[in-house]
Amino acid sequence: MNNNIDLKGLWNKQEADIPDTKELFEKINAYKKRSFRKIIFTNTLLILTSAFIIFIWYYYQPEMISSKLGIVLIILAMAIFVFVLNQTIPLLTKVDFDLDIREYLKQLFRYREKQIFLQTTMLNIYFILLSAGICLYMFEYALKMTFLLATVSYFTTLMWIAFNWFYLRPRQIKKQRAKTDELIIKLEMLNRQISEND
Amino acid sequence: MIFEDIYKAYWLKIFRLCMGYMNDRDSAKDLAQETFITVWQKLPDFRNESSIGTWVFRIASNHCLRQIEKQNRMPKTQLPAEIEDVIHHGNEDKMEFLYKCISELPESERIIISLELEDVKQAEIAEIVGISESNVRVKIHRIKEKLTKKFNNYEQ
Repeated sequence: MNNNIDLKGLWNKQEADIPDTKELFEKINAYKKRSFRKIIFTNTLLILTSAFIIFIWYYYQPEMISSKLGIVLIILAMAIFVFVLNQTIPLLTKVDFDLDIREYLKQLFRYREKQIFLQTTMLNIYFILLSAGICLYMFEYALKMTFLLATVSYFTTLMWIAFNWFYLRPRQIKKQRAKTDELIIKLEMLNRQISEND
Repeated sequence: MIFEDIYKAYWLKIFRLCMGYMNDRDSAKDLAQETFITVWQKLPDFRNESSIGTWVFRIASNHCLRQIEKQNRMPKTQLPAEIEDVIHHGNEDKMEFLYKCISELPESERIIISLELEDVKQAEIAEIVGISESNVRVKIHRIKEKLTKKFNNYEQ
C-alpha cells in the first residue's frame, strides 16, 4: 500500500489558458440584458392587462358597485400574478453567493419555502380573486339578460372556474412540487454531509 | 481591489476547483465564468471581512453546489461502464484519474479536498464551508484515505 501519493502535484498538473476578460464581459452584458428584458416583459404584461380592464370600465360605464368591485378584484388578481412571477424568476440574481456553504444552503432552503408559498398560497388567492371578480362583474349584465341566458352564462363561467380550480390548479401545483421536492431532498443530503461530526 | 487582478490571480485556481467538482472542462469553464460574473457584480460590496481568496472560493463553491438544481432539469448522461475499465499508467492519466475520483465523491467532499489541494489553509476552508477547523481536518484525512485507496487499486 503506497501512502505517499503526491496528490497536490497531480492536482496542479491541471492547466488551462485564462480566457480573455473580453469574453467574460460579453457574458456579463448578455446576462444584464436578459434580466432587464424579463423585468420589462412582466411589467408590460401588468400594464397592458390593467389598461385593458380600465378601458372596459371607461367604455362600458358599469353602474353597479358589484361590477366596479369585480374589476378591482380582477386587477388585484393580475397584480398578484405578476408579483409572483417577479418574485420567482429572479432567484438567481437574489442569491447571496458569498455566504459560507452552510449559510448558503440555509438560504436555498428559505428560497424554496418561499417559492412553495408563492406557488401554492398565492396561486390560490389569485384564483379566488379572479373568480370572485368575474362573478361580481357579470352580475350587472346578467340582470339585463333573460333568466335562462343569465343562468347559462353563470353556469358556463362557473364550470370554467371549476375546471381551473379542480383540474388545472392541482396539476400545476403538483408539477412544481415535484421539482422543488426533489431539490429539497438534495439540499437536505448536502446539509447532512456538511453537518456530520460538527 | 481591481477585478482584472483578481481574475488573473484566481482564474486557474477556480477552474481547478470546478474541474474537481465536474470533471468536465467545458462545464468547469462555464462554472468558473459564472463565478467571476458574481465576483464582478459583488466586488463593490466586498468589505474585507474575510480574505479576498476565501471570498472568491466561497462564491465558486456555492456556484458548484448550485449545479444540483441544473442537474435536476438535465440529468447527466451515464457513460457505459466498460470505458472505465481501460487502464492507463502515464502521469498525465494519473492526473485525470485524480480529477475523476474527486468528481465521484459526495458534493461537499469534492469542494473540501479541492480547496485542500489548492493549498487553501484549513482555517480558511472552515470559513468557506461553515464548519469547525477540527472537522475540516477530520474530513480531509478521510477523503485522502479514500483517494489513496482508489489510487492503490488503480496502480495494481
